[in-house]
Amino acid sequence: MSQSLVHVILAGISAGMFIWLVASGLTLVFGVLRVLNFAHGSFYMLGAYVCYTVLKAMGGNFWLGLLLGPLIVALVGYAMERFLLRYVYHLELAYQLLLTFAMVLIFDDAVKMIWGAGSTSSPAVPGLSGSVSILDRRFPVYNLFIIAVGPLVALGLYALLEKTWWGRIIRAASSDREMASAIGVKVPTLYTAVFMFGAWLSAMGGALAVPYVGLLTTGMGETIIIEAFVVVVIGGLGSLKGAFLGSLVIGLLSSFGTRYIPMLDMFLTFILMAVVLLWRPQGFFAEGS
Amino acid sequence: MDEHGTKRRDFLKLGFVTAAAAALGPGVMKPVGLWAATPAIKGPIKVGYQAVLSGTLAGYGEFHKMGALMAVEEINAAGGIAGTKIEMEVRDSTLAAPAAIQNARYFVDSWGADFLAGVDSSGQALALAPVMAELDRILMVTHAATEKLTEEEVFKKGIKQVFRICTPTYQDGNAAAFVAKDLPAMTWATINPKYEYGYTTWKMFQETLGKLKPGVKFVADSWAPFGTTDFRSHINTIMDAKPEGLYSVVWAGELITMMKQAQQAGLFDKIKHVMLPVGAAMDVLEGLGPEMPDNIWISGRYFFLYPETPQNKDWVARFRKRWNHYPAYVSETGYSTMFAFKKAVEAAGSKETAKVIPALEGMELDSPAGHRVFRKEDHQAMYDVPWGLTKADPAYPFKIMGKQVVIPAKECFNRPPFEGASCQPPFKS
Repeated sequence: MSQSLVHVILAGISAGMFIWLVASGLTLVFGVLRVLNFAHGSFYMLGAYVCYTVLKAMGGNFWLGLLLGPLIVALVGYAMERFLLRYVYHLELAYQLLLTFAMVLIFDDAVKMIWGAGSTSSPAVPGLSGSVSILDRRFPVYNLFIIAVGPLVALGLYALLEKTWWGRIIRAASSDREMASAIGVKVPTLYTAVFMFGAWLSAMGGALAVPYVGLLTTGMGETIIIEAFVVVVIGGLGSLKGAFLGSLVIGLLSSFGTRYIPMLDMFLTFILMAVVLLWRPQGFFAEGS
Repeated sequence: MDEHGTKRRDFLKLGFVTAAAAALGPGVMKPVGLWAATPAIKGPIKVGYQAVLSGTLAGYGEFHKMGALMAVEEINAAGGIAGTKIEMEVRDSTLAAPAAIQNARYFVDSWGADFLAGVDSSGQALALAPVMAELDRILMVTHAATEKLTEEEVFKKGIKQVFRICTPTYQDGNAAAFVAKDLPAMTWATINPKYEYGYTTWKMFQETLGKLKPGVKFVADSWAPFGTTDFRSHINTIMDAKPEGLYSVVWAGELITMMKQAQQAGLFDKIKHVMLPVGAAMDVLEGLGPEMPDNIWISGRYFFLYPETPQNKDWVARFRKRWNHYPAYVSETGYSTMFAFKKAVEAAGSKETAKVIPALEGMELDSPAGHRVFRKEDHQAMYDVPWGLTKADPAYPFKIMGKQVVIPAKECFNRPPFEGASCQPPFKS
């Protein structure tokens, strides 16, 4: 394969893995809670900011930021689910969307108040900041790292959901809430836990994006959440497998589109979504439908 | 003023600085014209300012605000405009045209604005022009750069209410071409924003450079939608085309991201001539810090180290003291806008739109960015901003403009009537 093609593919896979880290939590939360959380992108932004703040406080240790940042954001997720979302589960979808959209605006302003409105440039990760030569063109080591992390997260999620007692409970509650409740599953607690886990995943995505994007801005979650939504729709709402493959497809499509059909690159993604919606409205891997 | 964010103690704090500034006597501080002789204008003079205060570019709005607010404070502390105070309200314009129009209507219809200022996006500026004619208030554009605003809306359609104090796309397209013609690069490519600003600047750069340097080739173009965080595919496109020069008006945070990712991809090892028309923005220079490579051509709408006049140096010092920041270019244009209004109102002896427009037309203004003249035909402020090569300087934690080249505005700004070859540089006469 030519140098050009290999780099287009690599760029596509790495872009896809960044989307996957956000889409995974989004689809998981929808699968279990049946809530489409617009504010999922805000967790991505918060993950980036909190990670960066911890990193700076700890003398530049990125890994500590990556460990602690998303955990702190998971606590924010706890507060949001426990004190807000819980009260709209029984309402129509529109109310849930309104509430989570309001949270997007609140989180954006909170970030502006805490960290300021300007964009903040963030450093590269020591040890992963270089690049390697692939077919005589440099490719960042960090993106290779992301290409490895994405499938690892997918495997971890698979193992968690399919092979553990916790996973069985989650799947049970997701397929029939009343029945799960009847056999003694504490559904509200489970919902809180899953929502926190989703927030943690999205915050991980944000924290991991920081060194590559090199920049923190208010509103940074909004671009990625749109891509994640597209991915989740294509893959099937609630399907992790669908979200993983959808992310790869969207990442590659955007890379190939930008390189070879530059005037259509934005359309391609949405054309694909439209086609999927017309031809298979439940998405490729929708569960239980 | 208290309700609009200025506090009494800020005034006190500013007292000395402003008094000193007034004593040093930049031309703009002196009462000029008729106003001393005519009865005081019924005040206050209300300025509605709009800029982007939310989303990824929210930092720009804050910098607009710093400049404009500082001017309001200084003018009011020195007695106001023709003896009346300025009042300013700042609203978030986002980047959407409907929001900009809503703000303009609110300012004029509900708040009673005498003047409007601000506006970041070219799309917003073009949408606002007819609204300004209808509302009959002067709008001073401080950031939006499309040449269509002044060529089409003001000059051709005759919307006299619109003025622009910042450099337009001529600085990004034409001036860049004048610099590029003296570089050895014969093949150029671009990564540009996928909207009006990106298309119009690349077209202008190609046309002007094509005329200045026959034989030059444009080998690739890659377009980045607003909000792009991953430029790897765009960088691949450029590196596949192997140009000698890269031109990009990608701006603000996206430019920081693009530069970092291009560095990682080794782009600057392969492409030696890189031109960034808005690379001299403070958020970009400070954001990239030492990661900005050396010997990149950068420019902007104002750069705080140019011109080397006492007025500019003094202003930069006051700005740093007031806000603890170097002034961004939108801070300078926001600041100078207030002094342009002041000078024009005092010359007209009135704040009425119909009387202030002729006062602004052809008006000269000594501002931190240098000597400005508002061209009568298209209401574009003529002033020079240098192009320069990035270099490290121990006095600053970021790269500054080293070797500077000044392409005078009168040589690179398109000329009325904006039709035919002789209206676009290089000029025949």
